[in-house]
Amino acid sequence: MADEDTIELVREIDVDKYKYGFETDIESDFAPKGLNEDTVRFISAKKGEPSWMLEWRLEAYRRWLNMEEPKWAKVHYPPIDFQAIYYYAAPKSQAAPKSLDEIDPKLLETYAKLGIPLKEQEILAGVRKQGEPSRLDDAIGSEYASGKVAVDAVFDSVSVVTTFKDELAKHGVIFCSMSEAVREHPELVKQYLGSVVPQGDNYYAALNSAVFSDGSFVYVPPGVRCPMELSTYFRMNAKNTGQFERTLIIADKGAYVSYLEGCTAPTRDESQLHAAVVELISHENAEIKYSTVQNWYPGDKEGKGGVYNFVTKRGDCRGHHSKISWTQVETGSAITWKYPSVLLRGDHSRGEFYSIAISNGRQQVDSGTKMIHLGKNTSSRIVSKGIAAGRSDNTYRGLVSAHRKALNARNFTQCDSLLIGDKCGAHTVPYIESKTSTAQFEHEATTSKISDDQMFYCRSRGLSQEEAVALIVNGFVRDVLQQLPMEFMAETQKLIGISLEGSVG
Amino acid sequence: MNVMTTMTPAEQALGLTLPNRREEEWKWTDLRRFVERPYGAVVPADRKAVERLLAQSPFAGLKGPRLVIANGVVDEKLSRLAGVKLAKGAAAVAHEDVLLSLNNKLGVAGATLTFEGAVDQPVVIVFVTTGENSAVASRLHLDVAEGASASVIEVHLGEGAYLHNPVVSASIGKGARLDRVKVEQEASSAQHLSHLIATLGANAILNDFTLTAGAALSRQNVNVDFTGKGSNLRVNGSYLLTDSQHADTRLIVDHKVPHCTSRELFKCVMAEKARGVFQGKVIVRPDAQKTDGKQSSHALLLSETAEFDAKPELEIYADDVICGHGTTCGDLDHDHLFYLRSRGIPEAEARSLLVQAFLAEAIEAVENEQVREVLTEMIVERLV
Amino acid sequence: MFLAFQYPIEIPGVATMQFLKVAANAQRKARGEKEYTVPEFMKHVRAKAEALNINQDMLKRAVNVGFSGGEKKRAEILQMAVLEPSLCVLDETDSGLDIDAMRVVADGVNALRSPDRAMIVITHYQRLLDYIVPDKVHVLSDGKIVKSGPKELALELEEKGYANFVGQAA
Repeated sequence: MADEDTIELVREIDVDKYKYGFETDIESDFAPKGLNEDTVRFISAKKGEPSWMLEWRLEAYRRWLNMEEPKWAKVHYPPIDFQAIYYYAAPKSQAAPKSLDEIDPKLLETYAKLGIPLKEQEILAGVRKQGEPSRLDDAIGSEYASGKVAVDAVFDSVSVVTTFKDELAKHGVIFCSMSEAVREHPELVKQYLGSVVPQGDNYYAALNSAVFSDGSFVYVPPGVRCPMELSTYFRMNAKNTGQFERTLIIADKGAYVSYLEGCTAPTRDESQLHAAVVELISHENAEIKYSTVQNWYPGDKEGKGGVYNFVTKRGDCRGHHSKISWTQVETGSAITWKYPSVLLRGDHSRGEFYSIAISNGRQQVDSGTKMIHLGKNTSSRIVSKGIAAGRSDNTYRGLVSAHRKALNARNFTQCDSLLIGDKCGAHTVPYIESKTSTAQFEHEATTSKISDDQMFYCRSRGLSQEEAVALIVNGFVRDVLQQLPMEFMAETQKLIGISLEGSVG
Repeated sequence: MNVMTTMTPAEQALGLTLPNRREEEWKWTDLRRFVERPYGAVVPADRKAVERLLAQSPFAGLKGPRLVIANGVVDEKLSRLAGVKLAKGAAAVAHEDVLLSLNNKLGVAGATLTFEGAVDQPVVIVFVTTGENSAVASRLHLDVAEGASASVIEVHLGEGAYLHNPVVSASIGKGARLDRVKVEQEASSAQHLSHLIATLGANAILNDFTLTAGAALSRQNVNVDFTGKGSNLRVNGSYLLTDSQHADTRLIVDHKVPHCTSRELFKCVMAEKARGVFQGKVIVRPDAQKTDGKQSSHALLLSETAEFDAKPELEIYADDVICGHGTTCGDLDHDHLFYLRSRGIPEAEARSLLVQAFLAEAIEAVENEQVREVLTEMIVERLV
Repeated sequence: MFLAFQYPIEIPGVATMQFLKVAANAQRKARGEKEYTVPEFMKHVRAKAEALNINQDMLKRAVNVGFSGGEKKRAEILQMAVLEPSLCVLDETDSGLDIDAMRVVADGVNALRSPDRAMIVITHYQRLLDYIVPDKVHVLSDGKIVKSGPKELALELEEKGYANFVGQAA
């Protein structure tokens, strides 16, 4: 049935290739263009941060000055002028909204136009209140019938609204914007910020640490199973702004949380820079599930414009029997440079990475994961599905390593690529490092095209070429699709259809 | 910030800068750190040592043609060249890297073997290197003419703490076939930095097997370029490393034309503190439709301190292809060991049996039965 | 001691013949006997193999790799015959065997019966015992022997089921 949805969607597509490409006309409050210590001070002051936070940012900025842009990824782009970017843009007239009513209607309109995630839109549009069943639930299974999704929406640089806060507070779950966390929960921020991705970790992480504007903060206390899916929504709107959100999620002992992240950006000729940092910390027996659907603007057919998505995402399985699972669907951005990783420090900890990366047009994707086995009896699993079409390049880059003390480490990696057309490239660059004989690693990769037999079979049953491709691709990515929360599954299948539009014939 | 570092004594002696681990290809083999002796001038090989080593060569029993290259120079007296076309000099190769630069810097005359028609007996090529602290280059070109078939066995032996930098190029003509076996059994404190560059014409076959067993450091670069349609390539390798041995193979198979098949299989066994590295890359260029490429590397770590690193890479620009790679690494299968032990086979013997079985798959590619037996014996001897 | 596995393990790359030789010689060495030479051993194994209806081809293949269920069981009995152990444990050797294969296996086992060799046959059914007639039958439940008797006990079991005995144990 899901496949039929995709077919339906492909059929419906009009000339407007990127349906999220519209600009919301809201007055923005900008920081002066360019980057220096004053920009960092401006951002910190704008957010009313304490001095320790400013010092932390300045330290990052100083480190960044002495670092070099990484060049090892298989991506090509003109040099970025870091002085031509606005590092802070907040929609004006925002005064700590308490409920949806206080939100600028234009903003709500924006969310409505986005069309994803469906359930968030429903909530934001006021169709349904907290706890009410969604009419979407009939289609996607009863276990999600409670219809509870808490949303933290980040518009350009500022977190605009956080829903379901009270309900979460009852369980002791903290879910708020990063700015608020810095003010309200400084002890937690101080303890965890930068503890997984330090300020000087890499060029873009350093940049983010200096100028991060907002993002989400989640803390789930010991033994609490977060009662609903948490969701954040990123959107880049203003011209020439870089978006540098910073997300920090902590699952304390025995806690569980599932977090969804969706991203879009409007169509623009110039390229927009996005350099986010996400840090996850999973303590003893805790589990964090982090899902992303990324469809930032990929640029036009000739590769003009589009988002440069240079992201550092890392999870730390700090306690024994802890677990972190990354699931990503990457269909957008002109350039993607992203390796959600897991440090398996606790004994018996487990890391997972499930990825669908689709590139079309002139997109360049260099994405993968790192599974660093440090503790005893740790295990990890990687399933990556790359689909390249048009004139795009799609690279999987991954590292699996076992340190000397990582006794009985286990990894299984499956890494498949599919090529559609003869102008694109699909590449696999795995690194496997084992320093103990007790570790067992298994890595498998294949590259193929959609077989003529499969195509012929679908065509003989009356499917158009494009429908057939969408159908087959949906089958190809099934293993990963199944890892997604229900909210994202239907959305993703549609996205796959959209992303591959124009790739055949 | 590019800080010019001062050249090490070794670099000064060799006349070039060596790559360190910051360079992607040398990530796991920091050449600058490994190659650190202030090398002196190369002296002629010690004749007695050469004769002694030749007698100990695992292929000493083969009675066919033999080419002996001692300290980079062809030794005609020790060679048996009846029916072999040998010429001085070797053609330049169309690749660039530090191992080739080193070969040029060290300056060596080189030799060319030409094969025409069908040659049924393998030519044994023995590279013998002797001397302390000397850096020796060897250069050999194998020219397999159109329609010809040839078989060579390359053996590397030596005595002393030397650096040996052999560069072998092979041009395999249209419809021609080359079977090559290489046994790297350099002296235990030696360093072996080799490069093989093979070019395959249309409908050509290269069947290659390398056993890496000697030297403290062994780095083997292999480039295979397909230049004509319908060719077939097999590159297999086995490592049998122990103590603190370090072996790194960097293999690039470049499919530039359509309808070619490539198969690579590496079986690596590391004991004690040995470290094995395999970096294999299959490139399929936009025109190379209908490419069929498969690569696998498997490692067996026999001690908790052994290490294995792998980077099996695919770079694909054509859509109508079937390509894949697989890598595994781990200990001996405990169920297998248990089964053998349950049949009364002592632990050590059971392990040896399983290691032989593990390596056997890579050796199967060697078609000459006699040669295969010699290789198997070498392995068994080393495992005892 | 020899344990015939219910699910014999496959070992790729190790030829059956080579495996048997190493195992047999290891035993002889332990007993202080002279090791087999290659021709001696080949002759020895071939004779045993023929009796078990195992063809020469199977001996060249890797241990249990690609063997059918029946072939695996016969290979187990061949190993037993070649290694001549003083105690044999046959763990559900009859599972997955058709009547003909069971007869071959049973014949192999019967040929090895001798006063200086003990055999424990583990099975759920009488049918194997039609071919391998036991000297004694023990009923095992929850890790304990709950009843012992002559071969007729097995026939009684086949008729009345295990329930009575299990009840006793509980």
